[in-house]
Amino acid sequence: MVTKEKLKDYAARLMFDMDDDGYDRTLKEFEVIEKHMDLIGKIDGIENVEPMTFPYVIYHAKFREDEVKESLTNEEVLANSKENKANQVKVPKVVL
Amino acid sequence: MYKVVIGLEVHCEMKTNSKNFSSAKNTYSEYPNEFVDTTDLGLPGILPVANKYAFENSIKMALALNCKVPDVVMFDRKNYYYPDLPKGYQITQDTKPVGRDGYVMINVNGEDIKIGIDNIHLEEDTASMDHFSTYSLIDYNRAGVPLLETVTTPCMHSVEEALTFLETLKGIFLYTGVSEARVDRGQMRCDVNVNLQNEEGKYITPKVEMKNINSFNNVKMAIESEVKRQIDCLENGRSNELIQETRHFDEESMTTKSARAKADAVDYKYYIEPNIPPIKIEDSWVEEIKKSIPMLQFDRVVKYMSNYELSRYDSEIIVKDKNVSDYFEETIKLGVNPKSSANWITTMILGYLNKNDLKITDISFKPNDLVELINMVDHGEISSKQSKQVFEKCLTDNKSPKKIVKELGMTQITDDKTIRDIVVKLLDEYPNLIEDHRKGKNTFDYFVGQVMKQTKGQANPVITKNIINEEMEKR
Amino acid sequence: MKTILDYRSYLDEKKVTSEELFNESISKAHMYQEKYNSFVTILDEYNHKESDSLINGIPYSLKDNFSTKGILTTASSNILKDYVPVYSATAYKKLQDAGGILVGKTVLDELAMGGTSTTGATGSVKNPWDQNRLIGGSSGGSCAAVALGIVPFALGSDTGDSIRKPASFGGVVGFKPTYGRISRYGLFAFASSLDHVGCFTRCVKDAAIVTDILKGHDERDMTSLPDENINYTDMLDNDIKGKKLFYIKEITDPELYKDAGAITLEVLDKFKEAIEKCKKIGFIVEEVSIDEKLLKAIYPAYMTISCAEATSNNSNLTGIPFGPRGEGNNINEIMFDARTKGFSEFIKRRFILGSYILLKENQERLFKNAQRLRHMIVDKINSLFDIYDGMILPAGGGIAPTFDEEIDRLSDRYLILENHLAIGNFGGYPSITIPSGFVKDMPIAINITGPQFKDGEVLNIANKIEEELGYKGLIKEEYDV
Repeated sequence: MVTKEKLKDYAARLMFDMDDDGYDRTLKEFEVIEKHMDLIGKIDGIENVEPMTFPYVIYHAKFREDEVKESLTNEEVLANSKENKANQVKVPKVVL
Repeated sequence: MYKVVIGLEVHCEMKTNSKNFSSAKNTYSEYPNEFVDTTDLGLPGILPVANKYAFENSIKMALALNCKVPDVVMFDRKNYYYPDLPKGYQITQDTKPVGRDGYVMINVNGEDIKIGIDNIHLEEDTASMDHFSTYSLIDYNRAGVPLLETVTTPCMHSVEEALTFLETLKGIFLYTGVSEARVDRGQMRCDVNVNLQNEEGKYITPKVEMKNINSFNNVKMAIESEVKRQIDCLENGRSNELIQETRHFDEESMTTKSARAKADAVDYKYYIEPNIPPIKIEDSWVEEIKKSIPMLQFDRVVKYMSNYELSRYDSEIIVKDKNVSDYFEETIKLGVNPKSSANWITTMILGYLNKNDLKITDISFKPNDLVELINMVDHGEISSKQSKQVFEKCLTDNKSPKKIVKELGMTQITDDKTIRDIVVKLLDEYPNLIEDHRKGKNTFDYFVGQVMKQTKGQANPVITKNIINEEMEKR
Repeated sequence: MKTILDYRSYLDEKKVTSEELFNESISKAHMYQEKYNSFVTILDEYNHKESDSLINGIPYSLKDNFSTKGILTTASSNILKDYVPVYSATAYKKLQDAGGILVGKTVLDELAMGGTSTTGATGSVKNPWDQNRLIGGSSGGSCAAVALGIVPFALGSDTGDSIRKPASFGGVVGFKPTYGRISRYGLFAFASSLDHVGCFTRCVKDAAIVTDILKGHDERDMTSLPDENINYTDMLDNDIKGKKLFYIKEITDPELYKDAGAITLEVLDKFKEAIEKCKKIGFIVEEVSIDEKLLKAIYPAYMTISCAEATSNNSNLTGIPFGPRGEGNNINEIMFDARTKGFSEFIKRRFILGSYILLKENQERLFKNAQRLRHMIVDKINSLFDIYDGMILPAGGGIAPTFDEEIDRLSDRYLILENHLAIGNFGGYPSITIPSGFVKDMPIAINITGPQFKDGEVLNIANKIEEELGYKGLIKEEYDV
């Protein structure tokens, strides 16, 4: 059973929170999706079908040769980071 | 009695020009954030593009570990949040890794042991972080570096087995050229799982995982301290402290400490990476890769012991470095006695290399030079004492043994007539000593010594002895 | 001036310069901005790289989820409100290299997750045909910019129907080619296995022109298709006599929509008229039947797959290497704060759903079953494409909804008729929406979807139908005049 507490835990693991009403609305959405997914699970023969990740079988995929190409400059790497130090991204101390 | 059960997960950075999923340089750099592509930084809109060489080498390693390589390899995402993981997921292999169900043979104290490989998979490294008192700094140079993770079955039962496995694995990485396996640079890192079984083979403690151990010595310490802790808990009524958990090995105290307890395990929500289509592995491709794998250490030791009658000790010294082992095999191809060659390599050559901190590929003294030198001794052209002097001189002067022998005027007198003339003159001078010889008194050596004296030691001793014998017989 | 070729001849005849076109575009963009809110960013600098392509010197706009080096790119989300990319999307680069003139970045549903263009951080896009109605989404800003005559073409992205649905509400052409035909490098990912780059234009020919420029293998995208020596624009006038199209009974039969109201019935009626016109010009059009259970499952399966992939794709938005920094005492708190403040509730709900779907204990029942359903649909449609050259359907069951209309895409009324366009994403099929008339003075449209890789053939079919239907080059303001 999905409960509001569980939803809060899922959200926390996704690194965010929201207003309490938000969880109520999420709970309702879950019910609808679950109901529909139950119907999908009951479709004849679905269990014999291979799950599809790609829109079609892709055999044309090309590897990259192991060649070095120009990458970002140090300035570009740090351009969008709000806090930098010694050419690195600075964050509060990460405790192991 | 308790039986220790150890499983290892070994991460090893691969040796490539570029990263696993981007074209940024894969290198060990002192300058932070110098080799970072959009993809390594996880910027919005990026896509991974797999490195062919890294992929082929992952198959090479899978084959070297006797793994089954599937028909189709796929990449998956492992989702979790950590500041060193810019995309918020790591691209790895879960559904269809490059290798499953393999094994590695190791030898511990003369006994051959088979170490099971559960799987080997290709993934990417994270960024590296430096921690200071109040802040941490993130360097993305390492983010996206190709990483091979080798996962053993829980089949090792002692520190020795675990360490021998690690050394063997390191050797395989070096022999195949897949990684430089520099432990000092963090290129090889281990997760260690430890628990205990009773005599019947039943688990009596839960599995404890120690992550990211960065040296073989620390692996040893971590296992020893964790085994001690588990036994201590068992025997002193503190079994409640034994839970399945991740513990952190603390280098300073040499003990393991519980990592912050998380109530339940993290669900990494693995699913197939939708940006990398499945990769079909044709048999011909596998065959081609297989051909590029050289004979590995374990098999070479077996070969040296059985074919060349070397000791295990010498064989293991020789195979430690593939270049040394190849050097040895090259001399054998040139027709020299394997034992002499092994003897020279393990004592003189390795001694010289160690003393001067050189690699075998650094010196001008090549296999054909060694063969030349050994042959000169075997043929009595120079004495074994002289040969050592010649060897040193070859290395300092970068010249062949023959040249050095000539330059030092060491070349022996092997000419029959020259020696015979001296011998005949001597025998003429001392007929009484020939008499004494016939009576059983040893005067033979006196004549040899005299010949040597007159030729300043250059007369070939074997030929000299023969001629003295012949000439005495005549009288 | 309506189409790319109109612009082309004006430029070639030197009746106007490219810079004048740019200035006209941005002044229109500014003029309409308050009323319709199409843009997140309107550029002020004319930037042109000469080329001999058909779009050389012609203004266009991009959905604000294409990475544009040096130009703010927000994906209409607060979590990227200050993000200025350091690299450019392949599609953008190709347009710039072809001499296109970027006018601005257009509003979308936050992170492209939505079908209304009302959830973006800078507000809702309004329908040029009726300000009280929405334009649909998620590529609503790009659609409106074309419908308003600001630019002759604009790029969008289409994960479920995010180009083709708004196109139907805006009276413009919306086309997404086969999955992999256009590189996704630099398109902010929503659901990677369903995401497509595509375009809005005012006629089918322009869609072919733009796609000819954008298509091609990209070494930055492993799923991009190999190059082919085919020019879609050259195929537009191929003879279509005897080509076979099908429509699905369970989607188009008026008997199924007795309670749906007059508009839906009129839409279906007009669809049947369009079918007759298709037959008149030589198409063979047949009705086929597909298990309703499969069709009803399209939207739930789409939601399941897309939310799951989106949760993972947007895990990079933590405010550390880019984006607004969160506040807090430790690293977890700052990531938590950045994400809590950066996403709207709507997005968060979808992420929670997506992560729930991917949990180990739920994957089989939810994620994999949705992927299995996807497979069943694609197998079914592929088998029909063995017989038919294309599928023709009404783009939806109504006209653009008003802002206060309650839309529940999971309700029975909407379940099939409003959601079938996702079939095009499931199978990565080339799929195009073209205007087919008006109901209550609002545009309606039909959609044509063809077999994978047959982009030129689909454009050819659409071009012929467009000629017959006669709704080419609609621009709202000019239409009024």
